[in-house]
Amino acid sequence: MENVLSILFCLSLFYVSITSRVKALVSVLIAQGLILVVLLMIPFIYEFSVFGIILPVTVLLVKVILIPRYINKVILDLDIKRRFEPTIQQMVFLPLVIVSMTVIFITASILSENTALDVIPFASGFSAIIVGIYIIMFRKKLIVHVCGFLILENGIFLFGTSVASDMPMMIEIGILLDVFVVVFLMGIALNKIKSTFEGFEVTHLGRLKD
Amino acid sequence: MYGIIILILFPLVVSGLCSLVKDLRIQYAVSLLVALLHLSLSLVIFLGLLQPQLPTFFGIDSLNKLFLLILSNVYFWVVLVSYSYLQKPVMPNAEKGKKNYFLFLNFYLAANSAALLSNHFGMFWVAAEATTLSVVPLIYFYRNEEALEAMWKYLFLVSIGIAFAFIGILMLTLSAKGTIIEGEQLFYDEYIRNANLLNPIWLKASFIFIFVGLSTKIGVAPMHSGDVDATSNAPSPIAALMSGSLRLTALIGVMRIYQILRPTSSFEFSRTLLIIGGMLSLFIVFVYIFKVRNYKRMLAYSSVEHLGLITLGIGFGGLAFIGAMYHAVYNSMTKVVLFLTAGNIHRNYKSREVDNVRAVLNILPKTGWILLLAFLAISGIPPFGIFFSEIKIYEGMLFSDKPYLLALVMFFLLFIFVNMGKIIFTMLYKNSADEQPQTGTEQFELSHIISIILLIMLVVIAVASPDILYENISNIAHDFGMKL
Repeated sequence: MENVLSILFCLSLFYVSITSRVKALVSVLIAQGLILVVLLMIPFIYEFSVFGIILPVTVLLVKVILIPRYINKVILDLDIKRRFEPTIQQMVFLPLVIVSMTVIFITASILSENTALDVIPFASGFSAIIVGIYIIMFRKKLIVHVCGFLILENGIFLFGTSVASDMPMMIEIGILLDVFVVVFLMGIALNKIKSTFEGFEVTHLGRLKD
Repeated sequence: MYGIIILILFPLVVSGLCSLVKDLRIQYAVSLLVALLHLSLSLVIFLGLLQPQLPTFFGIDSLNKLFLLILSNVYFWVVLVSYSYLQKPVMPNAEKGKKNYFLFLNFYLAANSAALLSNHFGMFWVAAEATTLSVVPLIYFYRNEEALEAMWKYLFLVSIGIAFAFIGILMLTLSAKGTIIEGEQLFYDEYIRNANLLNPIWLKASFIFIFVGLSTKIGVAPMHSGDVDATSNAPSPIAALMSGSLRLTALIGVMRIYQILRPTSSFEFSRTLLIIGGMLSLFIVFVYIFKVRNYKRMLAYSSVEHLGLITLGIGFGGLAFIGAMYHAVYNSMTKVVLFLTAGNIHRNYKSREVDNVRAVLNILPKTGWILLLAFLAISGIPPFGIFFSEIKIYEGMLFSDKPYLLALVMFFLLFIFVNMGKIIFTMLYKNSADEQPQTGTEQFELSHIISIILLIMLVVIAVASPDILYENISNIAHDFGMKL
């Protein structure tokens, strides 16, 4: 079950690599959030606990409802153009993602010989981290950078569930809260950038250098 | 319980209070009270008079005792000067920033204390991210384009850096697979005790991710750029806070994982990485100090340089490690003086460009003299503390297995010193070509008094060399398994 979900997660990454619409990125974020929620709910099939449900509910609230809604609001408020121009073509971006993913999957399966780890969720999570970084590197629009950062965070979350790290729930919720506030601050900053620089592309940010 | 209340909860409550109370004077008075309480308790804890019981996820040891005192000390002076600073802002649009200044300042104290006192990697991560969130609105204090850009870059780079550190923490849990601590909580002492059982490959990977990730916050090259932008564009008290304490909060995370690696076979690897990071920082500063024409940026690069030296000292170990810990103490105080002085100059000349600042010694004699002394202090001229700590680092390097690196360090530092001196002396002495030498009288301000007190403290601590400080630092070295 974890593997099926992880592969779905990977497919969403391919979609991210070929789309050039900002809204599509937000839908992917919602889809990834939902996958993570389902992943967290799997243990409840065998054993239900009221206390344990807090974390999936928080993930649902933060990653599926609050953050995508907030980003959509920012897009509407700032009247951001729906399409974004990449600095490299999709035709280059997609193969780059595929090659990186292949390398990650092979490395993960080699590593799993020594350490007990779930190869597919592990590699999917790591792929999302890499794709998030690529998006930040190869796209110009700042709002897309924020989406890239969130895809990276989702990747880390999946990665975290695959290594079965036992973070106490309080800390997990603290992490989610931190991520939400980061996105919130980025939204405010985008607002200011729009009013100060008349645009929100990374090319506008070049004043500070030596 | 009182420990956690005074050190973390109280600043947090006052932070909330500051959002309700609009009067700046009340905000200032309450914040100052919090800072004073925090400083007193940190001092009492440091002196060993009290050993407060802290709840789960928090604990006190020699390392965070020292860093907590550094944080309280820097924070207290910064809060003390903040009110007079806010009364005379450098730029008119700073008015809006005043409203939430003390709110975020108190939040900063709570987050930093939590990060320093945590004894669990997860807790450290949450608190370290919170420190970023608290400082970001303060960087945007001036509400201008540069501040906005600096804020965005800092927020983005550091958030990604911290996300990397989180990957490192997850890899640390992977390294414990198949050992007795598998599935246990990520408490530092558990991992330190069972370090030999951990899987070396994952341990190395974990160190790389945590070190590189937190480097964005420490300001170690090549991840220093966001940090330099932020420090140079933040208001002076905030810049002092960032240089003096925030960087050390991130450094403690690296030191914790380094402490785990020390008894293992991955130790040499992590040590090499620390040394490379330190050397690279010095090299980057060496290159940029030739180009830099903005005196606050120059000070930001100076922070990169000194954090690089500290990282180098930690990497070399032994006597260099002792020197690095002393260096952390002295550097934090010197940076407060330097940034407060830079703030005074910025307010009077309305510019951060070196070319627009002339004859400071004539126009602002008090600020000028303090700047001169602070420059001597940061360059490691005796009797200021940095001289003694640097000597220890160099001695440690000289008697280590890589003494040739000392020559390189000396070469970099010489040029950094000369170029910094050139900039500072141009600002202090040179008159504009077409103008007659001006003279001015300058009122004695709070920032001058604070700077003088700190400079005196730098000399007194260095010369008197209190036993308790040495004892604490050798305890840290002992915890790291070093023989002195």
